[in-house]
Amino acid sequence: MKKPRVCVLRTDGINCDGEIFYAFEKAGAESQMVHVNQLRSKEARLADYQILALPGGFSYGDDVHSGKILAVELTSFLKEQLSEFVAAGKLTLGICNGFQVLVRTGLLPDRNLGNIETTLTVNDSGHFECRWIRLLVEPSHCVFTRGMEGSLIEIQVAHGEGKFYSDPPVIEKIENGGRAVFRYAGADGRPAALYPANPNGSLNAIAGICDSTGRIMGMMPHPERYVEKTQHPNWRRMPENTIPHGLAIFNNAVDYAQRM
Amino acid sequence: MMIQEVRVITKNSLPDSKGEEVLYDIKHALGINTVQKVRTARVFRFEGIGAGEAALLAGKLLAEDVFQDFRVNSPVIEGAAVVLEVAYKPGVMNPEAASLMKSAADLGVAGLLAADSSWEYGFYGKGITGEDIERITSSLLVNATVEYVVKESPKTLVIHGAPGRTEVIPVRQMSDHELVELSRDKLFLNLEEMRVIKDYFQRIGRDPTDCEIETIAQTWSEHCGHKTFKARLIVDGKEKTPLLKRLKNATEESNHPLVLSAFVDNSGVMEFYDGQAICGKVETHNSPSAIEPYGGAMTGSGGVFRDIAGTGRGAKTLASTDIFCFARPDTPGEDIPAGCLHPHYLLRRVVAGVRDYGNRMGIPTNNGSVHFHRDFRAKPSVIVGAYGILPVELCRKGRPRAGDLVIAVGGRTGRDGIHGATFSSGEMTDRTIDVNSSAVQIGHPIEEKRTFDAILAARDEGLIRAITDCGAGGFASAVGEMGAETGARIALDRAPLKYPGLSPWEIIESESQERMVLAADPEHAGRLMEICRGYNVEATVLGEFTGDKCFSATYEGRTVMNLEMEFLHNGLPQRVMKAAWRPARFPEPRVVPAADWEDLFCRVMGHLNVCSKEPVVRLYDHGVQGTSALPPFSGINGDGPNDAAIVAPILGKPYGMVISHGLNPVLNMIDPYHGSLWAAAEAVSNAIACGVNPRDLVLMDNFIWPFPDEELLGALDLAVDACVDFVRGTGMPFISGKDSLSSTYRGKDGTVIKIPPILCVSAFGRVPDVSRTVSADFKEAGSRIVLVGYRNTAEMAGSVYYDVLGHIGNNLPKFSPTALMQVFEAVYGAINSSRLLACHDISEGGVAAALAEMCFGGDMGAQVIIPEDDSAENFLFNETAGCFLAEIPADSKPSDIFGGVPCQAIGKTTAGKLISALQSGKTLFEAGLDKLKAAWRQPMKEVFRQ
Repeated sequence: MKKPRVCVLRTDGINCDGEIFYAFEKAGAESQMVHVNQLRSKEARLADYQILALPGGFSYGDDVHSGKILAVELTSFLKEQLSEFVAAGKLTLGICNGFQVLVRTGLLPDRNLGNIETTLTVNDSGHFECRWIRLLVEPSHCVFTRGMEGSLIEIQVAHGEGKFYSDPPVIEKIENGGRAVFRYAGADGRPAALYPANPNGSLNAIAGICDSTGRIMGMMPHPERYVEKTQHPNWRRMPENTIPHGLAIFNNAVDYAQRM
Repeated sequence: MMIQEVRVITKNSLPDSKGEEVLYDIKHALGINTVQKVRTARVFRFEGIGAGEAALLAGKLLAEDVFQDFRVNSPVIEGAAVVLEVAYKPGVMNPEAASLMKSAADLGVAGLLAADSSWEYGFYGKGITGEDIERITSSLLVNATVEYVVKESPKTLVIHGAPGRTEVIPVRQMSDHELVELSRDKLFLNLEEMRVIKDYFQRIGRDPTDCEIETIAQTWSEHCGHKTFKARLIVDGKEKTPLLKRLKNATEESNHPLVLSAFVDNSGVMEFYDGQAICGKVETHNSPSAIEPYGGAMTGSGGVFRDIAGTGRGAKTLASTDIFCFARPDTPGEDIPAGCLHPHYLLRRVVAGVRDYGNRMGIPTNNGSVHFHRDFRAKPSVIVGAYGILPVELCRKGRPRAGDLVIAVGGRTGRDGIHGATFSSGEMTDRTIDVNSSAVQIGHPIEEKRTFDAILAARDEGLIRAITDCGAGGFASAVGEMGAETGARIALDRAPLKYPGLSPWEIIESESQERMVLAADPEHAGRLMEICRGYNVEATVLGEFTGDKCFSATYEGRTVMNLEMEFLHNGLPQRVMKAAWRPARFPEPRVVPAADWEDLFCRVMGHLNVCSKEPVVRLYDHGVQGTSALPPFSGINGDGPNDAAIVAPILGKPYGMVISHGLNPVLNMIDPYHGSLWAAAEAVSNAIACGVNPRDLVLMDNFIWPFPDEELLGALDLAVDACVDFVRGTGMPFISGKDSLSSTYRGKDGTVIKIPPILCVSAFGRVPDVSRTVSADFKEAGSRIVLVGYRNTAEMAGSVYYDVLGHIGNNLPKFSPTALMQVFEAVYGAINSSRLLACHDISEGGVAAALAEMCFGGDMGAQVIIPEDDSAENFLFNETAGCFLAEIPADSKPSDIFGGVPCQAIGKTTAGKLISALQSGKTLFEAGLDKLKAAWRQPMKEVFRQ
């Protein structure tokens, strides 16, 4: 079967591109680094890819708002390419800064380019924090989490602006539509409202959401940092056959794209 | 044209986390209770557009309706008693300005000439006094070296300026007094060196230009020239080999098979696996950090990352380390010398600088430490390391050829950072902050990141002949060094500037960050420029490497500098320096047995040099790049510290790179020889404890010393001897190093404060398979705990235990490097054959602290049995480096595992959360794990409010 092609979008300040590239390759895709300038100059075309990956980092220094400058660039210059890509039923994954970008383009929660309905703002703690936390995978129609529903996964967060926030009607829309894909969870496996289990004070402990098709997903934690056993801080305490918890997300994406 | 102002504020109904943080500091750090609430707002200014366009930018870019409101050209903070705005001073680069310009263009807003951003603070409450506001402003909100309170909106955002002329400095006619005056606060050369310059220009029959004299001064600065390390050294009347030569000779003699490049490039390089090499460099950034800790630490990180990028033909940065020394964060204000900043502020701001640079670059900061001693109030020590990877065939320093182009890549040149090299070579005085503020700047990590991305792409296409970073001394140093053998000519007017008005000498000396210099074949220039453009990176041909062995520069067609490379690089007279160490004598204390053991144990765990640094580590991204195979903390609750960091830099391959370090300023104060051996032993032990083969490790040295008078030079001489003996005894060579010999404070009133001398040894190496390494957290209850290594428990001087009791002592830990090597081999062998469940090296706080940390990680207790013939205090708190605690299965025998090196089973792990100690069949104490952990976590938790 032909390997699905992944566009790993880079620009100034993106810095989790290498590991997301690797995660998709490990899952059986063919990853390519694509600079946003290449899309703007038409040297590269989104249409040539089945998966668009927006990695973490600090795009353009997170100036003004995290992910904002890149979001403005995407909605100003690549609106058409993006709309076609999404309309073609292809997959979009944004992690950390990528999630911030997806929210600020309006692709999440409603594929409404240019319309910002939710935000990711400064952590309640007021500072950047890098730590391993637990996530509850909610039942949803998200294609990235098929087969993971109900499970608890361990994963790293590393951000200063990850508090998921919106007006009550938007939150309700997300909740009722089953679009809250991941929630921060306590040791008991239940959604956690409080620090440190909820590292940023996100409403309803939301760590990741998808759109109504389940094909666009954004999340603050970093699954691409746990696709090898030895990436977990406590792999030495774990059984030999432990499967890294982040890998399933990339496998799901590749499986789906292959059948597209 | 009018400037449009957009103000953005978080909606009233939502928390303002920045405002809350400021309020917390106002109440807790300043003790001001009149302020009830603080609100913050962003201010954006635009020049060249109308109010309608400003409103468009506000709606589409600056404010988000979900949580913010905005106003155009009117105030947004309402009802506050006082509103004030804090902005960068004109000329200090605000990194956000470029993003504003870019986004405005992306949104189709034309005609924008300049943009800027700042913060506004509104203070609410009754009875807020002018004095309150003054204190809040000066202590919390404004760093006067780079920021100011905006009293009146600026008339223009465009910086104007006409460059000054190139001056000729009449040194040929100058008296000794005039030479000294010329040097003071600016050149930092001594009279003898000034005379050499005068003689040279008398000989060639002309006076130097300002460009020339500045270039000579920075090339000859202690920072760049390492005059002390190269000096002829007379120790106690007898000449000894110069310090640097001694270190280099020892490295050569070790003939280590893995070393690829030592002491010649921007970092040291050793062989890795699969045709790859790994490299390391450790730098200090003490002087800038002392006056502007945030900017100083940022540019320290940025500089050491550029050393990695500037290694061979270009390397990728994999990891960074941060090692700091400060005075206690609770030092009373009156103990802080005039002109110095408070350590609490320094610590928080330095950490913030390292955090913001490393995190934004996407470089994991995964190894480091913080040390405290009263005398670091003279000057903090900020040590930043960086590590990288590059193909072996590109790992040797490139050599430009005559005809190659000189290409500047990266950030623009500004007035910031002028005199950094000469300044950092000077001592700290109460004039330092006023005179040298231009030596500090705000780093721009995003600029550096995209520059590195472009460099690696160019390297992979074979376009780079040679590369170096623009660090201290700017273009003068970078081009001067690269062209030392060929000669180079550059046109200073070609250099892209941040703003107009720089004189030629400022362009050549500027230490603006985020710049690299490349040598490239003219045939490759086109492609190189194309790659840079693709990454939004500016690249400019400044000139060429010539073949005339001169360093010349022009400005608008006129020659402003023409120096012989020979004089520049070899004209500096070798110093002759006298050294004589007089051993320090600290009375040996009489120690009475502990009365309250649990309290004593808690005090040792809560000692600043032992306490958990987790609140610092959590602020750094240590997982980015996905390479972590041994993180700073692991264990059941993620709070058990490990000894070293291991990264697996090639995703999908089992190869690991280990990174560790060691230092102990207090021991160096007592005895620089044994203190330095301790530092080297500690650095290596940290790597060994994870399971690294000692034959796969190399070392780096950083000497951070008070200004070397005869006595302190004697101490330095002994420290270097210790390094050499360590290399000879273990075979591990030093492959990179740096010295910073200016950490003395001199006040107007005659106060002199010297820091405790530091030798920081960093170690890095390779591991064939990370799955054969161990962490420090205890894995199972019921395991045996084994103490491995040579130690004499009576050697307690300089220990945390003594410090807790108010003593220093004289009898410090001593050891033989050859004996250490046997222990290293034994511990490595045990881990590599999978016979250890956990291993931790013993350092500050001794066996007791190591044991407690292993228990924290495993979330379990331990019981130890103290030999009858030893003092329990000495047994538990001795800090001899090169000793280890190991966890082995209950049924295995220590001597079967560790062979001939000293090893003794000292107890077992237990399920209960208690650490208990027995001696002569009696329980000495039982200490609760929770209590110990709380004491251990408290100090940094308090400083970092986590």
